Amino acid sequence: MSFPPPPDVAGTSLDGTEPYVIDADENRRLCASVNAVPDPDGKAHPIYYYIATQVGMGKTVAGLCAACDFDVDDGPMMGSSQVEFASTLRTGLPYRVTGEIVSLNRKSSRKLGVMDVLAYRLRLIDPGGSTALETTNIWVLPRRELA
Amino acid sequence: MTLPVGAAIPPFVIEVNPAAMQTWAVFLKDPNPIHLDADIVRAKGLGDRVINQGPANVAYIINALTAAFPGGTVKSLAMRFLDNVYGGETVEAGGTVTAVAIEGDLRITTCDMWLKAPDRGAVISGPAVVTQPAF
Repeated sequence: MSFPPPPDVAGTSLDGTEPYVIDADENRRLCASVNAVPDPDGKAHPIYYYIATQVGMGKTVAGLCAACDFDVDDGPMMGSSQVEFASTLRTGLPYRVTGEIVSLNRKSSRKLGVMDVLAYRLRLIDPGGSTALETTNIWVLPRRELA
Repeated sequence: MTLPVGAAIPPFVIEVNPAAMQTWAVFLKDPNPIHLDADIVRAKGLGDRVINQGPANVAYIINALTAAFPGGTVKSLAMRFLDNVYGGETVEAGGTVTAVAIEGDLRITTCDMWLKAPDRGAVISGPAVVTQPAF
């Protein structure tokens, strides 16, 4: 069975427009929510790799889905998340987010039916211009209308 | 603390609190109702309890790593999401050391990590790398 191709979105910029600052008080609340002890010297919980890039990128979740011609209400699912840290994340610093959509591929699976697999890459840039981390997320976008 | 190849990462256990999902919705600026409203989850046929945010589940795995390697630094993660975690579930993060290397003044430990839910086994799994001072 063949399906129409997904939108050609590879290369779409996800650069953020405003710096993202990991707020120290929010970091404390986040640590409390996952039973972690906040670092007294300003290190942020490493899970901010995901939060900072996701919130600081140039599109909302709904906007990212819309770029892929997908309604966020149809339920995007996280497939995987990969990160490489070059430095430790710290609270109070203005990080810049850059990134892009890597690929959007249409597939068919026995479990999920027709789906688009979205890969996008984001980087967190510290105030000195160095890359603090690079992350690549894979989302599964179920295409029930094509089933 | 250092761990040799084959050592188990001590488990990190947490009961997933639906109230925490509301705060994570704020952290993530993502008001997806499957994390906030069990009626919506039911209506979508995804179960009968709110679904935890994926990155919160990854945070539990990070907690297991940072507890196992005090003073260490998480250098990389590559996590696959295999299933949902639901509000009220008690989940356990853990893993096994698969490789240890010394590079310069760093001890580099690679682990296979997982998050397990009751009766369903691993809901997240993948490798992680932590560095520590070697000497």
